[in-house]
Amino acid sequence: MTTIGGLARYLRLLGHLARYTLSRELAFRGNFLVKVSVEVLWLGILAAFYRTVFARTQMVAGWNEDQYFFFVGCFFALNGLIETFFLENCNDFAELVRTGDLDFLLLRPIDEQFLITCRRIDWGTGPNVIMGAAVMVASLVHMGWHFDALKFAAFCATFACGVVIAYAFMLMLTALSVWMVRNQSLMEMWWLFTSLARYPKEIFNGTWAAPLGRFFTFFVPILLVVNVPAGLVVHTLDPGMVGFTLVATVALFWVSRRFFRHALRSYRSASS
Amino acid sequence: MAIIEAEGLTKTYRVFQKKEGLLGAVRGLYRREYKEVRAVDGVSFSIEPGEMVAFLGPNGAGKTSTLKMLSGLIYPTEGRARVLGYVPWERVDAFRRRFALVMGQKNQLWWDLPAADSFQLHKEIYSLPPAEFDRTLAELTELLGVEKLTRQAVRELSLGERMKMELIAALLHRPELLLLDEPTIGLDVVAQVAIQKCLRDYHARRGVTMLLTSHYMRDVEALCSRVLVITHGSLVYDGSLTGLADRFGQTKLIRLEFADGTVPADLARFGEVTRSEGPVADLKVERSRVAEVLGAILDRHAVLDVSVSDPPLEQTIARVFEEGRRTHDAA
Amino acid sequence: MTPPDAVAARAASPVAAPDALAADGSAPHLHPSAKGPAATARKYYKIFRASLVERMTYRGDFLFGTILRFLPLVTTILLWQAIYKGVPGGEMAGFRYREMIAYLLLTNISRMFSSMPGLAGGIARDIRDGTLKRYMIQPVDLIGYLLSYRAAHKVAYIVTSFIPYALLFFVCRSYFDGFPDGWTLAAYAVSLILSFLVGFYFETCVGMVGFWFLEVTSVLYIVMTLNFFISGHMLPLDLLPQPWSGLLKALPFQYMAYFPAVVFLGKVKGSALAFHLALELVWAVAFMVLARGLYRLGLRRYSAYGG
Repeated sequence: MTTIGGLARYLRLLGHLARYTLSRELAFRGNFLVKVSVEVLWLGILAAFYRTVFARTQMVAGWNEDQYFFFVGCFFALNGLIETFFLENCNDFAELVRTGDLDFLLLRPIDEQFLITCRRIDWGTGPNVIMGAAVMVASLVHMGWHFDALKFAAFCATFACGVVIAYAFMLMLTALSVWMVRNQSLMEMWWLFTSLARYPKEIFNGTWAAPLGRFFTFFVPILLVVNVPAGLVVHTLDPGMVGFTLVATVALFWVSRRFFRHALRSYRSASS
Repeated sequence: MAIIEAEGLTKTYRVFQKKEGLLGAVRGLYRREYKEVRAVDGVSFSIEPGEMVAFLGPNGAGKTSTLKMLSGLIYPTEGRARVLGYVPWERVDAFRRRFALVMGQKNQLWWDLPAADSFQLHKEIYSLPPAEFDRTLAELTELLGVEKLTRQAVRELSLGERMKMELIAALLHRPELLLLDEPTIGLDVVAQVAIQKCLRDYHARRGVTMLLTSHYMRDVEALCSRVLVITHGSLVYDGSLTGLADRFGQTKLIRLEFADGTVPADLARFGEVTRSEGPVADLKVERSRVAEVLGAILDRHAVLDVSVSDPPLEQTIARVFEEGRRTHDAA
Repeated sequence: MTPPDAVAARAASPVAAPDALAADGSAPHLHPSAKGPAATARKYYKIFRASLVERMTYRGDFLFGTILRFLPLVTTILLWQAIYKGVPGGEMAGFRYREMIAYLLLTNISRMFSSMPGLAGGIARDIRDGTLKRYMIQPVDLIGYLLSYRAAHKVAYIVTSFIPYALLFFVCRSYFDGFPDGWTLAAYAVSLILSFLVGFYFETCVGMVGFWFLEVTSVLYIVMTLNFFISGHMLPLDLLPQPWSGLLKALPFQYMAYFPAVVFLGKVKGSALAFHLALELVWAVAFMVLARGLYRLGLRRYSAYGG
């Protein structure tokens, strides 16, 4: 049983899951359109907010308007990816634990983490990735950015790392559902996580804020998620940070997986 | 070699004690009381390949917990088990491919999609070869008579039809062992009979070992030759169905048809009169006294017809459960 | 990326009103035969108390959630600090940096009173599932029941969040110029209570739309997302350019976040204050009337269709 064969199987399975959820989504077309409209609305609100701010100031934490909008686009796209592939499934997890339906997923001869986190694809937030990318491209054009292949490659790599880091944190929050009695608040907890990820880390300035910023960069590296890919494109490419991001990604993925399995073991000890 | 071997399986878990009222709820915020519950207590048995065995017991007896331990879903607190040669709770992939668990009233199929899509997903998850999958699917849908329903969304099906789909999903990967937890609960009689027939036919065709839990005697009588009775986590009986009546049945039912067209008034002297209609009466009598009572009645009255039978198995079982409860509460 | 309220609407598993009329041991016992205001009050008090008890059971959730809830405030403060660094004169639309932070902290209090997670969704779901039928048979007024339930939830939430919030405001006291005078505080309290009523009846109205339009949760979702901005929760409405600023200050959504906050900060005084409080009351009453009207009409339509 080669790992390549195994990987192919998982990808094929993911393809099937994608197809089924899409057909289900399209069956509720109106609902789908509403979801997309809300996301567009939300991007509009963000744009309105920052336009209002930048009408009164030139720079925010060392990012000018175009740079900042690139940051926002990057965040929107990345968050869109996470929401499309994982958020709904992780949110369902608490319900699965509560009803005991988690058992069915544990019976299958397939990796539980995959099945639980990738079960459904929420196509409603899919367009966010495109919208975020559009915002990024628009700001690059507006600032007259010259294409730099190295930066582009580094961006892709660190963007992927950002997705994995965000996934790892989401997984750990999800694992907590096993011990919490009722967890309607996974969505809320995710909102809190994103509240850290959605601003440039330069805002962590000052006597108490700077150490906090370092904490969230090097210890609980939420600030790496959007800052590193966005920063290296519009500011400078810092190889040290890129390297650290890669290492942190691998470490976090491993830690989150271990923690999740621990949670499943605990569920199985406690349930009857 | 036994397909299932269980030795001293025990499962205890803690239940948080909720206090009454507002004050209790506030106290619950900083101090919690737990009660230990023994769901399964030292259960041991072994099952050979091809057997159809029933786990009988009242609600909360520990049947589901035992089944979950055998599926590897929960860890036992104590004890050992081997299923298909594996330790279930290690949940090896190869193990999970070889058995199936069906839970009554619980849905493992995708709610909004047609059952056919769920089956396709199954095929992918279990890596079933397409030709074999198609054949198995055709065989099962024909057996259960649901060929036309597979393209309908699962949520639109009736409970009985849904259960049939569940069964199909469970059997698609040709498991050697089928575990069923209350498979016919909540179903109407027609659906129950259909499920029972399917299980019987499938067993005859493929020799699949089946272990089912139920508190319906009808399931047990229709399907299983061997019964394990569990009350309050303990195994109180392991043997044949007929033996059950012999072991626990303390009374027999004597049906008498009297020649003079009426039931004599003093019949209650001999035992409990459970029924009295026209010339016919049912008399419940302790087993040891049957001959004596029969003799006495026949001496005094002219009787057209006599028959002696066991009371319905359900009554016997109900009494076993009741006695189990009394012993448990006293302990 | 959506705010928690809208996200809760999307999750379609909102905080549901407990099934108080079901045969559940923890439910209050309603006596259909009891009449009169005292009995009614007792009935709603029982619902209130049972809901309070229910809320406290989920303590792990509470603690973790409450602690984490303050993280976004930290980043918000830092963001505005960074913004103000580049603003000439350190003032935007009459708000200095400290006032801005104070404003944002206060909008959290306003939202604590006016947000109704799961209210409209719950009503819509009851309509869709047909569980609404029981309100037609039993002598419990749905809106009255929901009001008691929500009030209980709010009280529970406020009581259990009081210490963390008090701590937070104490830590952030440098952003405030002390407490305002007695009259302002009284006006503030009134605006908060009215904010609760506006929020409650507004969302009830949206829920009632479920009688005519099954997918009302979609509408709700859009409204909630929009509300996050137009209620002034993200930034004071004064910061927006005209005509937006004026338009939004004429709508009732400002009462759910913006208005109580600016009352506390003393930005609305005297006759303007009295006028706006009265207007807030008018809006609350208007929504209440609308909610009841929609409910009556909806029930009639509901029974016509057999649910």
